[in-house]
Amino acid sequence: MLFIGIDVGGTFTDAVLLDRGCVRASAKVQTKEDLLSSLLEALDKAMKGVSGDLVERVVLSTTMITNLIVEKKYDPVGLLLIPGPGLSHQHYQFNTGTYIIPGAMDYRGREIIPLRREQMENAIMDLADDGYKNVAVVGKFSSRNNRHEKEVAARLRWNYPDCQVEMGHQVAGQLNFPRRVVSTMLTCATREKYEYFVDSVITALSQRGIDAPVFILKADGGTLPLPCSTRVPIETIFSGPAASTLGVQALTPPGETSVVVDIGGTTTDLALILSGSPLLASKGAAIDDYLTHVRALAVKSVPVGGDSIVERVGKEIIIYSERLGPPYCQGGPMPTPTDALRVLGLTRLGDKDRAREAMDSLGAPLGMSPGEAANKVCNLVIDTISAEIQLMFTQWEQEPAYRVWEVLEKRKERPSTVVGVGGGAAGFISQIAATLGAYPVIPPYAPVANAIGAAVALPTLEVTLRVDTEQGYYSIEEEGFQEALDDANFTEQQALDLASKWLGKRADKYGLNQRIEDVEIIRREVFNMVRNWVTTGKIYDIHVQTPRGILGHIGAGGEIK
Amino acid sequence: MEKKTGLIFFPAFDWAISPTHPEREERLLYTRDQIFEEGVMDLPQIREYAPRLASLHDIARVHFCVPRVQSQVTEAHLIAAGSALQLGDAVVSGDIKNGFAMVRPPGHHAMRTVHGNRGFCNINNEAVLVDYLRRRHGLKRIAIIDSDVHHGDGTQDIFYHDPDVLFISFHQDGRTIFPGTGFSHELGGPQAYGTTLNVPMPPGIGDETLEYIVDNLIVPVIKDFKPDFIINSAGQDNHYSDPLGSMRFTARGYADFTRKLNPDMAVLEGGYAIETALPYLNLAIILALARLDYSYVLEPDYWPGRFTENAERASKVHRTVDYLRDVWEKRNSADIDNIFGKGDFYQRKKFIYYDTDYIEEEQIEKVKKCSNCIGYLLIESRGERGYRAPVRILAVTVPFAACEACQQEAYDAYHQAKKKEQYDYVYMQDKSLDTCLNYERDKNHEWSTEG
Repeated sequence: MLFIGIDVGGTFTDAVLLDRGCVRASAKVQTKEDLLSSLLEALDKAMKGVSGDLVERVVLSTTMITNLIVEKKYDPVGLLLIPGPGLSHQHYQFNTGTYIIPGAMDYRGREIIPLRREQMENAIMDLADDGYKNVAVVGKFSSRNNRHEKEVAARLRWNYPDCQVEMGHQVAGQLNFPRRVVSTMLTCATREKYEYFVDSVITALSQRGIDAPVFILKADGGTLPLPCSTRVPIETIFSGPAASTLGVQALTPPGETSVVVDIGGTTTDLALILSGSPLLASKGAAIDDYLTHVRALAVKSVPVGGDSIVERVGKEIIIYSERLGPPYCQGGPMPTPTDALRVLGLTRLGDKDRAREAMDSLGAPLGMSPGEAANKVCNLVIDTISAEIQLMFTQWEQEPAYRVWEVLEKRKERPSTVVGVGGGAAGFISQIAATLGAYPVIPPYAPVANAIGAAVALPTLEVTLRVDTEQGYYSIEEEGFQEALDDANFTEQQALDLASKWLGKRADKYGLNQRIEDVEIIRREVFNMVRNWVTTGKIYDIHVQTPRGILGHIGAGGEIK
Repeated sequence: MEKKTGLIFFPAFDWAISPTHPEREERLLYTRDQIFEEGVMDLPQIREYAPRLASLHDIARVHFCVPRVQSQVTEAHLIAAGSALQLGDAVVSGDIKNGFAMVRPPGHHAMRTVHGNRGFCNINNEAVLVDYLRRRHGLKRIAIIDSDVHHGDGTQDIFYHDPDVLFISFHQDGRTIFPGTGFSHELGGPQAYGTTLNVPMPPGIGDETLEYIVDNLIVPVIKDFKPDFIINSAGQDNHYSDPLGSMRFTARGYADFTRKLNPDMAVLEGGYAIETALPYLNLAIILALARLDYSYVLEPDYWPGRFTENAERASKVHRTVDYLRDVWEKRNSADIDNIFGKGDFYQRKKFIYYDTDYIEEEQIEKVKKCSNCIGYLLIESRGERGYRAPVRILAVTVPFAACEACQQEAYDAYHQAKKKEQYDYVYMQDKSLDTCLNYERDKNHEWSTEG
């Protein structure tokens, strides 16, 4: 019963081998340009002396797609948009060729402006003339009626069979047209490279005799079977912070409210675990200045880390977000928070005398001893991070609410523990915790918490069903599926059953043969449609999911199933 | 960077007056769809706020709820009013340049005395905001412009004797629509003559005439009045597709009005064309507040030139506007004694019908014609529901900057009324001290709240 978790991060790639709730082996290697070889190197180290056929399950978390997007290493994507009336079209600036086609659907999926065929032909021709081979076709309210998108995509494929086409309603069914455009564009941009990556991983694992199911971690902390994930490559962005958060969840007792503080070289990642479950962000993730529909944990990246440079400006000591190499005590050019920790005896990294030298250069002109300067620097880091944590809690409390019960349910919660993971954690955590009035915790295996998080992550599936009995159709947001429904007396119970049925269907589709016994209902809303004082139909809005959770807690004595 | 426009969107998807009532869960569903699909909340010019609850004292500062606040409000009412306060705080503190509380339930038909629900309203969200801003932030002069198709009779009632609150309402002629008031001769009491202005419009009036009202009455009067804060009571049922109103305003017309008025805050009121108007109107108003281009917002069944104004009806409105402009300009030289009569008090008798709750109220309202302050108010009211004994109350209001004599007299009146058998409840609303008292005869008990 062996479980493997691998997290390919920006600097390090970590792997762990879990054996019945115990960490049997772990490995940490430098991440190289070639992500696949780093991944395999860590895997081989962790698997040393263990036969591949004992492995039950492998979960990966990788920065592959994040890197592609941030470094813009993808083929350009042309956009065929059908926005119709509403916001000025000037808002639709996505730094790529954008071609607007007249036509519009409304919020109930009724056609309000038919697609203008001639202008569609012209747009397609212009786009091809400009050399785009990857195309995203996105319409406003396409998740309520996908006909226009399908028509444009079909025409495009007819004229240019080599084009790779993505349609908005299949990528992102949630409301928010601009985010749907971005999600579709990025899916289109990354799919081909991602498919290649997935194939390579599968081949490499089978060469090692591992034929257990392989999963990939998503930004929301759930997993997907690796082969199926090629449909939704962008869901794997920001899985690193999700991995650390799940790792902390596995390494701390269930039910606690904690802040996860992952202090790295140049950034500190923060995440919240409220009463034992990681907090999801209320809006989709933002990447490279683009707002997407990708569901993600509420994580925040603060530009301060162990290697951030520290400088004296006049009578002030200031921390900058840049890194100019390693800390001074490890041969770097500038003083850093790590040097301060070294002087205070809170870390053993680097050379003590060089660290004193660095702090002396900062403190001497201000009449401070190296120790005082080191204290000052540490306090700056602690204050910055503590303030950001406070802000995260306030922002969570101030999230919009659209229902009476949601407003009444608003609670105020503060962390009972501050959990440190990552390289720079040890020196700062106890003081950050003290500032917040919480207990500091640095769990065992903190340096590989991310890989542990990957290893214990579980598949999650959701279904959002919208039924409009008056228009006579229903749609499944996650599948981009729309179908006629000819039953004016369709009941709420039937709607719930339909949603559960689709949850089962999706489980089959993704090869998750888990029994869908536990269906969690997140939202069930019924809207009576009344026209001229007569009830003419109902709109049901139903959101169900499989329970979110992790395999088990590490070292808690319980066995991982 | 320029300041943002603050939004609170509170559609109350779990609150309705009754399943088929126009004020039901569905009302803002399509508006939600439209503004979320447009990605409005992601625009850099927009900041979304969470709603909060108003306190019972915030309500008591404005209303005499019979028998008490808790019996007239649901949580939804407190959230709707609280959302207005939340944005009001953010505007005054300078966090945002203006705000739009897109909230249910509405409030502009709720008068000072509340026996029940009338015109879908229990609590007047704008009035709660006005007195909160004056009490909490020390604002003095506030203008409320009501753009609902129904006369904002509740708001008018609450500020009828208050010269520091300018109330202008344009609406469909009261002879053809609920609540049947809002005529051009309703101009405020003797202590506040001319700070209530009503423009009744004959059915069928459109954008062009709205523009005339804005340019020739609203904008110049506001310029004269110099308010510290402008509130738009943003009813949306003047729209051509509204099932309750008979006017012909468009989304574009509403947006132009919003741009020219440039209010500090807008608070959603009525508007029951939940599919054909609200999604487009709300979007256009948000864009206008954020000073973004709203020219792409078009109702699906509208084309420029679809409506032409009826010249005769339009000129009727023009004449009303000209008359009110004249009243406004001569308000300080008006012969108040001639209009309102002589004596220490001005008194009026009101019959108020609560259409939602079938309550009939008879009221005598007296205002002290004080020359040192705006005078205290005495209200004697009797509310009758068919199936039970009528409820009789006496209520006293002491204004913000009350003089000592008025304060003394008002408290005397309150204490005397407590001794009289005929009143079931006696109320004191002292805005100068921010204290509210509520006496219940049967229990011989007095409750008080303080801000």
